[in-house]
Amino acid sequence: MMPSEYEALVAALKLTDIPFAEYAWRTRPEGTYGVVSLDFESGQLNGNNQKLDRSWEASVDVFFSRLADREDVIRTVEEILAEICGASWELNSSTYENSTGLFHVEWVCQVMDSGVV
Amino acid sequence: MAITAKVDGMDEISEMLTQLAEEGPKAAAAGLYEGAGTMAGELEAAVDTIKTAPFKYAVHGTRLPSPEEVDAIRGAIGIAKFDKNGTEVQTSIGFSNAGYADVAGQTKPIALIANSINSGTSFMHKQPFFRKGVSKAKPKAEAAIIKAIEDRLDEKNLK
Repeated sequence: MMPSEYEALVAALKLTDIPFAEYAWRTRPEGTYGVVSLDFESGQLNGNNQKLDRSWEASVDVFFSRLADREDVIRTVEEILAEICGASWELNSSTYENSTGLFHVEWVCQVMDSGVV
Repeated sequence: MAITAKVDGMDEISEMLTQLAEEGPKAAAAGLYEGAGTMAGELEAAVDTIKTAPFKYAVHGTRLPSPEEVDAIRGAIGIAKFDKNGTEVQTSIGFSNAGYADVAGQTKPIALIANSINSGTSFMHKQPFFRKGVSKAKPKAEAAIIKAIEDRLDEKNLK
């Protein structure tokens, strides 16, 4: 089962104007597009013989070809990250791919799933 | 009426504090040396978890890194020269200054190859081995740092 915050993040990103896929696109779309993925479990608190308050690292990647789109892309994604992940996110990298002419911005965030106490 | 109060042993404590001030930065550097080594070792192990596939151009979707690309970053993790400022000592661990490698007929910076595997590109599937390795190695590196500092202070009878 996916962590509840990750499910909320995916749902919110899919409501934006940017087409988002989970993990990968079978065929890369034209124009701006995004990828969201749950990467790995980064921590947990144990109690009552079960895992409680587990946290995962997730990432959001957006690819776009026009530099003019950069501000809109960043605002759209960061508003969602701030709403769902609070302060637990950061802009991890911003690169330009010479071979494809695409800009790539990557955010990393922590998502939680609270267990039953 | 008066009472006499006396404090003994201040010479020893004073001497210990002087020694501690001298020994502190050395203990911190010894701790960081062990911690950085542990972190680099764990990150090297994380490189071995990267999934590969023979090189091919990803026309539509994304591809996995080729074995040659992973070989290029294997053994390339370096520890920067320690930067000391009083009792503060810091370093960085990663692929900076790792040089270049020939992959698929092109010479590419190793740091760029590592970044494209870790963060993914529009044509390469993301495998965040570095972030995962750091997350896994942190508790071990912290324990190694604390143990090295304690051992150093034990040696000097400063605990």
